[in-house]
Amino acid sequence: MSKVVGIDLGTTNSLVAYVKDGVPIVIRDASGDALVPSVVSVAPEGTAFVGREAQRRLLTDPQRTAYSVKRFMGRGREDVREEASHFPFRLAGDDQGVVRIGLGDREFTPPEISAFVLRELKRRAEEHFAAHGEVDNEVDRAVITVPAYFNDAQRTATRDAGRIAGLEVLRIVNEPTAASLAYGLDKRHTGIIAVYDLGGGTFDISILRVEDGVFQVLATNGDTHLGGDDIDAQLVQGFLDDFEQNGLIVHVDGRYDPQTVQVMRKAVIEAKHDLSEHEAAEVVIPDFAVIDGRIQSAPGQQYRPIFTRAGFEELIAPIVERTLGPCRQALADAGLEPSDVDEVVLVGGSTRIPYVRRKVEELFGRTPHSELNPDEVVALGAAVQADILVTGNRDMLLLDVTPLSLGIETMGGVTSKIILRNSTIPATGSEMFTTGVDNQTAVDIHVLQGERELVADNRSLARFKLRGIPPMPAGLPRVQLTFQIDANGILSVTARELRTDVEQAIEVRPSYGLTDEEVERMLLESFEHAEADFAARQLIEAKNEAEAVIKATEKSLRSPEFAEIEKTELTPEERKKIDAVLAGLKMVLNSSDRETIQKWTHALNDATQHLAEVMMNRSVRAALAGKSIEEM
Amino acid sequence: MSSTTVQPDFFSFLGLPRKLKIDAPDLEQRYRALSRQFHPDYFYNAPAAERRASLERSSYLNDAYRALKNPVARIEYLLKLELDGQGAGRAEPGPGGANAAPPPGLLEQVFALNEELDEIRDARAGGAAADEWKPRLERARQPIEAKQREHESKLEALSAQWDAAVDANAPESERREILSALRERFLERNYINNLLAGIERELNV
Repeated sequence: MSKVVGIDLGTTNSLVAYVKDGVPIVIRDASGDALVPSVVSVAPEGTAFVGREAQRRLLTDPQRTAYSVKRFMGRGREDVREEASHFPFRLAGDDQGVVRIGLGDREFTPPEISAFVLRELKRRAEEHFAAHGEVDNEVDRAVITVPAYFNDAQRTATRDAGRIAGLEVLRIVNEPTAASLAYGLDKRHTGIIAVYDLGGGTFDISILRVEDGVFQVLATNGDTHLGGDDIDAQLVQGFLDDFEQNGLIVHVDGRYDPQTVQVMRKAVIEAKHDLSEHEAAEVVIPDFAVIDGRIQSAPGQQYRPIFTRAGFEELIAPIVERTLGPCRQALADAGLEPSDVDEVVLVGGSTRIPYVRRKVEELFGRTPHSELNPDEVVALGAAVQADILVTGNRDMLLLDVTPLSLGIETMGGVTSKIILRNSTIPATGSEMFTTGVDNQTAVDIHVLQGERELVADNRSLARFKLRGIPPMPAGLPRVQLTFQIDANGILSVTARELRTDVEQAIEVRPSYGLTDEEVERMLLESFEHAEADFAARQLIEAKNEAEAVIKATEKSLRSPEFAEIEKTELTPEERKKIDAVLAGLKMVLNSSDRETIQKWTHALNDATQHLAEVMMNRSVRAALAGKSIEEM
Repeated sequence: MSSTTVQPDFFSFLGLPRKLKIDAPDLEQRYRALSRQFHPDYFYNAPAAERRASLERSSYLNDAYRALKNPVARIEYLLKLELDGQGAGRAEPGPGGANAAPPPGLLEQVFALNEELDEIRDARAGGAAADEWKPRLERARQPIEAKQREHESKLEALSAQWDAAVDANAPESERREILSALRERFLERNYINNLLAGIERELNV
């Protein structure tokens, strides 16, 4: 039987997990790394890079590298106009349509970019299963998590991404709910749990009641545009302003220079991480320095301003404050006081920030759980849910809610709600329609999601044309429209004319989504590119290995003892051979011929074998003599 | 569920008598037990027809639970079920919206309140400070809140009366009488709540 996995498709990082003998396990690469950066880079000739390699390319080829794409899932071109200047890649697409991401001369929809990340996770899982001697390694089904506060369009876009990646998406699960499954709180507790999930790009709060192994979400709230990214953007903006005041050019063609922004972004993220452990951290920005009291371009030097935790906290306070309102609203919707909460669970990388922990503890009056790695807990929960689905194990059950009310447009641009927010899903609602004109055979329906009164203030999900109504005098037809939100939180609509009992045809035009045909086409395209992508990955791996051998060899040649070794232990032929092969490997390194690179890499390994042994023996002797290896 | 299927009402779906007093932990337990029966999670490998049935049943269960869990929604559902004979499906938003005519029993209070609200709006438009008109609004709210308390206790008494009539298997005419009284109180209650919400909005202008 093929394998089923749980996937956390994050704003910053993604990861994959599965259940082995009843225990959820995160899948890691050879170096023990579970996180795949949600970054995709497309080279000029069309090769796609995913993960760490793509992340490196953010510094060298930012305009062809997409990150934080989750922020654009299920969104329209208009929605993202404001933040477009913060991203090095181009945001395109029709004014009224779904946003597109321009990398070089190609354009991708957000689900297509996400599909690259999903394929990488699928590949990683398949490699893991193969390495562990499993019979059938194919991974073709997955549970994928989304922020609880994702609307229908964002959920559908995530499911589309899965389909484009060749995965059957068994279920879309909310991240905070998945996290509570991973904690297995059912085994120890009956009570109220609050899950506070502050990730790279999104914030969720979910309030659950756990009893008899049933995880029942009482209320959920959040902000799908609030997370670590906003902290980074604010820090970067501070430095850009500083640089500009120092007369440095940070603008190119009316927008921030992508390269400068990425260098700063990397520096502030590293400092941010340091500040979770230390009271102060340096922000290291290469190729600049303070000279004569001014920040100036200084190749080879580093500008290293100090950032204190107090200063950092002051800066992020407004962002953290924005999470507290949704927390209070969710509690109110659940009919609870903060003191009713028995357990608080922290999820998402941003909850490592001590200030965030303090604020959460203050609000709920409880020390939050943080036993599980906040980066991994969601994927673990997704794996548990995947296991429930394929085994039918009824020990645990997850009852989630729809985060936003669903309604339709009525006269005067007002929204009439049909399914209220925090309704347990699956849920249905129905509405009766009739005609306004004699012999009218079609009615236009506009479906919306949101809490506001006016249509314009809510999210447009789709427009339907209800066709095939039997010709009758105005007001006589009785068309019942039934809205079904399934366990994924995704909507479907059916219609029936009650007098004739005829099921009506509905043409769906999603406001910010892809049609089935588009998804199908993208899936086919991905097959065409799959072979090229696989070859590209092998090439990268070969280059990485070659670079590692070159670096080690050059380090040996530069070491202070090399002169002596050369005299006493190496033959002139050996020395000549090392130089020749090293030069040869460097020559082929930038080609795209994987086999040649590998051949030369092996040759250099062979040529330096003796030298490496000699160096190692000396370092062992030195260590025995009381010298550290560093001194060598 | 498709409209051709005849549905049990929410009470019988959850195995409960058609009474207004419901033991909350008992309702929760029934809901969890039925969720474990019907939830789509357990039908992933089942044939399409079963998957569809699971989706429909668990949707219906969630609707039933939502309607019966909340005491006000419960009364609303019972009235619809007993008086309009359309218990299956979603509980429609109750009548008594802001634009409905005031119920006869409330005419006096509504008239007085509207007059007061008009004066306060005029005063505010004329530049009166918040500490001048806010206390007036608070005072205007008091008689309405008294009415609200009165209605809540009347609703409670009528609910108990209904449950007793069900237990005693009382004749149809007696039940109808209780239901009509319940409906009248219920509509008034909705109207009062709308008035209070209106005052709240004015306070927050």
